[in-house]
Amino acid sequence: MNAQQASKALKILGVLFLVHAILVSTHEGEFWPFSIYPMFSQAGNPWARAMVLDVTDLEESELWVEHVYPLRSDERVVSLRALGVDQIDYSNFVVRTTDWTESRQRALHSMIGAENLKDKKWLVTIVKGELAGEDKVIGKVVPLILLTEDEIRLKQSQLPVHP
Amino acid sequence: MKFLSSLKSGLFEPERKVTPGELVFFKFFEFFVLLYTIWFSWKWARYIFHRNTEVVLPLGYANYLDVSLFFGNHLPFYMAGILTVLLLCAYFRIGARWFYMVAFFLLQLLHFTRFSQGEIPHSQAFIGISLLCLGIGSVAFGGARSMPRFVMGTLFFFMGLAYTSAFFSKLIGTGIHWADGRHLWLWISEKSVDILSREGTYSLNFIQQAALKSTAFASLLLLFGWITEFFGFTLWWSRFRPYTFTLLIGLHIGIMLSMNIRFDAFLLQFIIVGYPWYRLIDRHLDTTPAFVARTL
Repeated sequence: MNAQQASKALKILGVLFLVHAILVSTHEGEFWPFSIYPMFSQAGNPWARAMVLDVTDLEESELWVEHVYPLRSDERVVSLRALGVDQIDYSNFVVRTTDWTESRQRALHSMIGAENLKDKKWLVTIVKGELAGEDKVIGKVVPLILLTEDEIRLKQSQLPVHP
Repeated sequence: MKFLSSLKSGLFEPERKVTPGELVFFKFFEFFVLLYTIWFSWKWARYIFHRNTEVVLPLGYANYLDVSLFFGNHLPFYMAGILTVLLLCAYFRIGARWFYMVAFFLLQLLHFTRFSQGEIPHSQAFIGISLLCLGIGSVAFGGARSMPRFVMGTLFFFMGLAYTSAFFSKLIGTGIHWADGRHLWLWISEKSVDILSREGTYSLNFIQQAALKSTAFASLLLLFGWITEFFGFTLWWSRFRPYTFTLLIGLHIGIMLSMNIRFDAFLLQFIIVGYPWYRLIDRHLDTTPAFVARTL
């Protein structure tokens, strides 16, 4: 590469940098593959992630009880990879949804897959964590939605939605 | 002006002669990008077809186009198919110079469609930027021995920018106390839910156990990563590049061990582009192989 070609390359890079700056500044820092890489930028905040529990053998009265997240394996947890579901997608879908419309509930059922729910009762839960005092993190598991092959039921809702 | 001159020299090295080893290495790098792009495009097409049902978080083009029109039908597979053919033609320099650019826009569209479900992923970003650099390089420098210099220089610029930008995002988002080890405790516990949910099992590894036991150790881990990110911009100058890439590889191994986040494509790409492998090739090569010369 000679000096003239290098100058041309730098000019093209300048234009590309400008395009990058315009796109990320007008799209909240993200316009793939451009990004300001804001992940982990807000430290110390409480977090919330989602998990599916197999509650097939539990009684109705035991389903909706909040409990402590133990930071280790739990035999009730359903492996989403085994279902072919992207865990991050699933978690963001559940945690970011504020209004559980019927269409959103059906979309969740479809994401998990009716074929996986045959003869099973799975509970969609949100796990919430935060710093407690100076020296520990505490987490709790909050039940949200019960899924069966042909029913979707929000916590404490009397009227189930059918997929 | 002095900075721009130094940047130009650091990124594109006009004073250094293009060698056969550099061109052979470049075709290998191009092949690496081609393989990853094809892999991502088919993987995303398959996921869109089977799993996407509703747009949860529109990113990029999805803000202007209802990407749900690609859900539940074979359109993503057609896009991946066209993209694959265009990439192969572009790699062998069959057809138009703008094939790589069209492939890039198709990959972007597949990405925005696939990741409309709430996740904002970054682990494929450098493959995307590499393809964009190849696209612009083909149009502006196609057929010239200088094309590899443009592609690699532009890629190094955006890689460096990414890490330094991540450093400042943290400084602005949290402040100077970002490296407080207790923040790592929160991330370890948060990622533990992701891993448990993904795999069905989870146990803390030795690094995580040590970080949870000692705030000082956790803080040191964060501080190392944060300072490494700051020095990302040094990738813009070839004399610093191998050292910075080595630190970045260490950073990603640290993230993998402490937070279970894997960056396979990043790590492979760093190992490939981070070191002057062309010097090794030049030891055994005097002239440019015919295939490489024909497909620049």
